[in-house]
Amino acid sequence: MNRKNFLSAGATALAATVMPGYLANAATRTDESSGIVPPYLKKGDLVAITSPAGYITLEAIMPSIKQVESWGLRVKPGSSIGKRDYTFGGTDLERAADMQQLMDDPEVKAILCARGGYGSVRLIDLLNWEKFTKAPKWIIGFSDVTVIHSHLGRNYGVASIHSKMCNSFPDDWSKAEPIQVDTILSIRDALMGTRMKYMLVPHERNRRGKATGRLVGGNLKTLESLAGSQSDIRTDDKILFVEDTGEYLYSIDRMFWNLKRTGKLDKLAGLIIGGFKIKVDDPGEEFGRTLYDIVWEKVKEYDYPVCFDFPVGHQKNNFALKCNVLHKLVVEKEEVNLTEIR
Amino acid sequence: MIKTPPPLKPGDTIGITCPAGYMNYEKAATCISTLQHWGYKVKVGKMLGSESTNYFSGTDAERLAEFQRFLYDDEVKAILCARGGYGTSRIVDRINFKKFKKKPKWIIGFSDITVLHAHIYSNCKIASIHGPMAGAFNEGVQADDLAGQVEENEYIRSLKDAIEGKKAKYVCQPHDFNRKGEAIGELVGGNLSILAHLCGSVSDIKTKGRILFLEDIGEQLYNIDRMLLQLKRAGKLDKLAGLIVGGFTDTKDTDRPFGKSVLELIRDAVKDHDYPVCFGFPVSHGTENYAMKIGVGHKLKITGKKVTLDE
Repeated sequence: MNRKNFLSAGATALAATVMPGYLANAATRTDESSGIVPPYLKKGDLVAITSPAGYITLEAIMPSIKQVESWGLRVKPGSSIGKRDYTFGGTDLERAADMQQLMDDPEVKAILCARGGYGSVRLIDLLNWEKFTKAPKWIIGFSDVTVIHSHLGRNYGVASIHSKMCNSFPDDWSKAEPIQVDTILSIRDALMGTRMKYMLVPHERNRRGKATGRLVGGNLKTLESLAGSQSDIRTDDKILFVEDTGEYLYSIDRMFWNLKRTGKLDKLAGLIIGGFKIKVDDPGEEFGRTLYDIVWEKVKEYDYPVCFDFPVGHQKNNFALKCNVLHKLVVEKEEVNLTEIR
Repeated sequence: MIKTPPPLKPGDTIGITCPAGYMNYEKAATCISTLQHWGYKVKVGKMLGSESTNYFSGTDAERLAEFQRFLYDDEVKAILCARGGYGTSRIVDRINFKKFKKKPKWIIGFSDITVLHAHIYSNCKIASIHGPMAGAFNEGVQADDLAGQVEENEYIRSLKDAIEGKKAKYVCQPHDFNRKGEAIGELVGGNLSILAHLCGSVSDIKTKGRILFLEDIGEQLYNIDRMLLQLKRAGKLDKLAGLIVGGFTDTKDTDRPFGKSVLELIRDAVKDHDYPVCFGFPVSHGTENYAMKIGVGHKLKITGKKVTLDE
């Protein structure tokens, strides 16, 4: 833990208690700095696991508990783990109560969501963020958890970690593939204060350029489902990343139109397209355009950098990203990289 | 104030186009002959049964051009969209409605065409018809029937009545979930997926004081729940005059059951409010699909014995 960072994070959090409304506004209007960055974790700190959406057993999260403990952190499963209400990890009230308790418990320094599925939007309006904004902590997850990232970023300007969750930790760490090891250790790095840097092979359909801005984004379908609500993502001057799985091309096209028609693509600093697992068109219903065509069609009139095939999504190649933290995106012919700025 | 396009008279022309998905000509043959049988001339656009080899009936430019041509053609008094699918969102921002606002005509269709209804309602303040499209005219028609000589069903007839300017008077059976009461307001709504997709855009609809109707097809229960929550969280379910729940056909469930039926999900989404709500109204992707005049004032009355919707 860098003491200077800790102090600045603490100072920002203190300011937030005085004028949260002002800070939230400032956070969405200028992108010269990161949002409110929760304190990074140090050895001995406590990570709690909860399930804001789908149901999961304690047994299923054991590999993640062991792994996170191996980082020198302590782990506590929340009360929603093992609970079940049909597809959910407990009723809305049970899941919300678990999340609330962990948000408000000063000993808990980070909340790792066990899995996605569907359900975060059902509890988001039940949560009280008062204590959390005074003492922000890391919330970790992706897919359906995009609801929480988007809500948190828009309303409180607090940074959070978009990454794999407990259900992606390999059962046997010794047999894990290198990409599994790297992506899961990227959660540790993000959480414990490493300045993130990602390098990738340029894609021929990329648009070159450089951009600086806060990183925001997540699951495209989830972002569309937040449009018009108070959790709706704000993208002006930001670097937006999107990913999705199991959608038809026509549906992906429709979702990109939603982004465009709600004004979320016109003032971006940059655009990062992650993994898209595309559902094959039904016979006779060929969409006739690739994902690359779909994206280009929406952004051709702008000039910010765009990169494809970024390692984020419902895939093994899914690295931890710090939402609402300032990053620099460089998309060049020879190299593409994304670097956290401090 | 919402403008209502003039009713059609015998001899008037109806234009048929496909602003979204592809449809072959044969599937629209009964529709065309029925419209002619009703005494209308039909202008069939090139998008119906086009040369297109992919999902769409034509390129965006082609679909847009044909829709625009019909919109500005003084001879065309109504535009019937032959089918939905997907694609109206891709062209709606490029349609020029200027002349249409001064000289409105009926735009007819549903499903993906909800984009046009919502956009026109919000931006042009002109009434339009959410109702059966070309494929629906084939309902109950046998292969060896002579086209146009089949007695059309009451849903197809409701479209005829709507374009002729007859006031709608619909009656349907009560449902256990219904919330009794009376509501008066402009009718708005359509396909739930499309209404959710339009949230936050220039085509988004206001619902306060209106009677909202919803229908959908082939969606996962969890996704219907998410879309209802989107409408709710976008403030669209708070101040309704009333809610009409149409058909939710071919609804899918996850391997691990979601645990509630679609009707229960809708009932839950509006439980904090006290406006009248009716379930099982005949507006859907199935045969039961009355013509609904969007933007026009209606009275919804829900009692223990029946549900009536009167223009």
